[in-house]
Amino acid sequence: MKLFLKFDFNTLSKKVLESKLDEQNLEYKILGFGEIELIKKLTPEDYDALQSSLHDYGIEIVESQKSILVQKIKDMIINMVFNENIDLKVKSSVYLSKNIGHSYGYLSNLFSEMTYSSIGNFIIIQKIEYVKHLILNTELNLTEIAFKLNYSSVAHLSTQFKNATGITPSAFQRIIFKRRKLAKQKTK
Amino acid sequence: MQKDYIYIILADDDEDDILFFTDAFDELKINTKVNSFKDGEELMNYLNKDNALMPNVLFLDLNMPKKTGIECLAEIKASQKMSDIAIAIYSTSASDDDIEKTFVLGANIYIKKPSDFKKLKKVLSEVVAINWQYHTNALNKDNFLLRL
Amino acid sequence: MIMNNWFKSTLFLKIILLLSLFVILVIGGLTFRHISNLTSSTEVVVKTYKVNLELEQIISYLRDAESGYRNYIVTKDTFYIESYLNAHKKVNNSFLNLRNLIKVNSEQQENLKILNKLTDSLFSSFAESKVFVKNDETNTETFKTLFFKEKVIIDSIRRQSMVMFQLENKLLNERQKEFQSDLKFTPLFFYVVLLIMLLLIIIAYTKISNDLKNIKAKNDQLLIFKESTNQSEIIGKHGNWVWHIDSDKYVYSDNLYRLLGEEPQSFEATFDNFLKFVHPDDVDKFAEELDKMIDEEELPFTNYRIIQKNGSIKYLKAFAKSFYGDDGQKILLGNTSDVTDEIENILTLEEQNLELEQNNKELSAFNYAASHDLQEPLRKILTFISRLEEKESDKFSDTGQQYLEHIKAAASRMRLLIDDLLQFSRTNKPDKEFVNADLNELFENAKQDLTEIISEKKAQIKIATLPKATVIDFQIQQLFLNLLSNSLKYSKEETAPIIKIYYSKVEADKEPSLYKAPQSHYHKITFTDNGIGFDQKYAKKIFDLFNRLHNKQDYSGTGIGLSICKKIIQNHKGFIFANGEINVGSVFTIYLPVN
Repeated sequence: MKLFLKFDFNTLSKKVLESKLDEQNLEYKILGFGEIELIKKLTPEDYDALQSSLHDYGIEIVESQKSILVQKIKDMIINMVFNENIDLKVKSSVYLSKNIGHSYGYLSNLFSEMTYSSIGNFIIIQKIEYVKHLILNTELNLTEIAFKLNYSSVAHLSTQFKNATGITPSAFQRIIFKRRKLAKQKTK
Repeated sequence: MQKDYIYIILADDDEDDILFFTDAFDELKINTKVNSFKDGEELMNYLNKDNALMPNVLFLDLNMPKKTGIECLAEIKASQKMSDIAIAIYSTSASDDDIEKTFVLGANIYIKKPSDFKKLKKVLSEVVAINWQYHTNALNKDNFLLRL
Repeated sequence: MIMNNWFKSTLFLKIILLLSLFVILVIGGLTFRHISNLTSSTEVVVKTYKVNLELEQIISYLRDAESGYRNYIVTKDTFYIESYLNAHKKVNNSFLNLRNLIKVNSEQQENLKILNKLTDSLFSSFAESKVFVKNDETNTETFKTLFFKEKVIIDSIRRQSMVMFQLENKLLNERQKEFQSDLKFTPLFFYVVLLIMLLLIIIAYTKISNDLKNIKAKNDQLLIFKESTNQSEIIGKHGNWVWHIDSDKYVYSDNLYRLLGEEPQSFEATFDNFLKFVHPDDVDKFAEELDKMIDEEELPFTNYRIIQKNGSIKYLKAFAKSFYGDDGQKILLGNTSDVTDEIENILTLEEQNLELEQNNKELSAFNYAASHDLQEPLRKILTFISRLEEKESDKFSDTGQQYLEHIKAAASRMRLLIDDLLQFSRTNKPDKEFVNADLNELFENAKQDLTEIISEKKAQIKIATLPKATVIDFQIQQLFLNLLSNSLKYSKEETAPIIKIYYSKVEADKEPSLYKAPQSHYHKITFTDNGIGFDQKYAKKIFDLFNRLHNKQDYSGTGIGLSICKKIIQNHKGFIFANGEINVGSVFTIYLPVN
């Protein structure tokens, strides 16, 4: 039989991290998403061991400052989009520079250099992801979703969705539902 | 060991299309490795081999001899080891209905073969870029749908 | 009108009859009364005259007596006493008679008594005087007084009888007066009643004669009807039959026999005899359905085949209804018609239809395949051209580059044509699915496909709220796309296109352009633009396949877009109309049925 799963990556990665750190008997404090504080400085062997065990789980220890910053930007954006409590009326540029502490221009350039794509694009991608999630996993209709994500109208949302994916939100919903139906039939 | 290039496979029976495709990627500034197969059987034979390297993106023509694109699609979706591949249907044309059908059957991307080389390069680079975004941001690949 | 109806009712005759009887009785009664009155009247007259006669006779007798008495006095001959005695007797007789006659009248009786007394006193006086005469003492004073007394008595008698006479006459007159009035009235009454009788008789006669005429006319009609039924059976190829269920007797009309290919009434009308003609495969069903028809009041038709003696198979259709006859018996009235022609026609039509469908499918497939397969090589051509342009154009001479441009243009045009043809063949696909779609959504989708050109031309699009409707969604979306794209393409130079879309729900009989439309209500969607418009005389032609009103240099286009629109509208059983004014704009009105 088939089960449908939803992943909460935050919790998932945290648990993995914790178990891996515990395996190596390291003392640590988890500061935030993507940040841990080790009480004692790691030996190179421990560092390598940790790095390789985390790598199996797709967790990379980020080296460069730049990467760290970019990761922070990404995390901020993800938080901004997915977190219900944040007021999306605040402009993303202001939000980012305020919370990370650099000018938006600097952040923007850095992001483009490291990821070959812009912050704006990334925001759109995340928003569209969230829209997809809402369409598939909640009973909200498009108007409500548009409102929730601070689009000026349903048409605006549809246009952005279509521009990003090439299909309309309703077509998307239809396709996923049909996929699920097909999968159900296959298991019978 | 993470590879630093993007591995792309094209399955298409048309030589000219293969030529356009590989030329396009040559001219794009993305670090890619492109492989091609002339028909569905060759493709599946490769993919089913043990230790075969799975592509990041697979471009699949629909009308191929021996095994059609749809048949390959079904096989790939049923296979565990090929579950990570982003499948792009690369076809001449189709009605909206037919395009939806390929999505429902499991394709992630649908591309109508453009009749302009510049456009082709643009389309291919978009596909690669978006796929990479999905990959690096661990977005839900099951919801990855793109139509160009 | 009411009078007419009343006149026609049969009750009317009964009423007339009763009236006549009544009148006759009345007349009889009155006549009887009249006659008895007359009789009484006559009796009264007779009586009166009898009385008068008697009175006269009394007077006369008294005179006789008087003259006898006088004669005796003169002659002293006792011979004259006899006449006097006779007279006396007669007088008494008369009195007797009178008494009888005037029994009823008390006044007259009194008078008679007086008269009687007077005559008695006269006769006694005569008797007294007789003595004197006998004794020859006629000169004496007593005799003279007596004689004078007799005269007085006679005068009194005369006067009294006169009184009685007058009274009698008075009575007679009175009675006569009574009868006179009766008499006067009677003839008049009689004549009036007679006239009424005559009138009644005339009315009755008229009605009866009318009724007879009607019956005759109806009879004639019935005869004609019977004849025409016979004819219609023959012409219409059907026959009637009657089944008296309780007595299990059948009656077959002449034409029923002919339907079976037999001479009329050539065999006994029974169920089994008929069954002999029914096709062996249909026998069971036939018998079953017939049974059903007895129980139900009315059943839908039953179809079966018969085989005539000459071997030809006919298709029959039978229908029956059960009735209760006058005698309470249940009967089944049936009609059987020969529908062989219709069935054969239907079969032929079905065959032809299948052929046509098959043809259509093949044509569709061909159309689609052709368009689809033509795309491949064309795409290659265009892609290689673009490669050449990109990589090798600097190696071409100017002419070479020009030629390349022309090749590109021609190939692009071909691509447009093939795209449109492909679209056209898609709208022809036989498997069309109707779904309940929100037209606003479809419009938005179409609009989105044109985002680039809309912003490029700075077009304004205002749309009313469209309803939900049962349509083939991708086709309607295509329709909107084609109309919008036309409005954008054929916009005026230097003028931003303004496209307005209106909606209203209309009733077919209130819209002049929906003359003879099959449905009652339609969705009316109007596309208006401020583009270059067109000459209204081409309003119908622009929907023709490949028809264009412009050169391809001035405006690109394949001439297929509007044909596709028309085809789509036809698929939805709707209507599309175009109105244009050069340099003002165009109006496209589409009607989609509301179901």
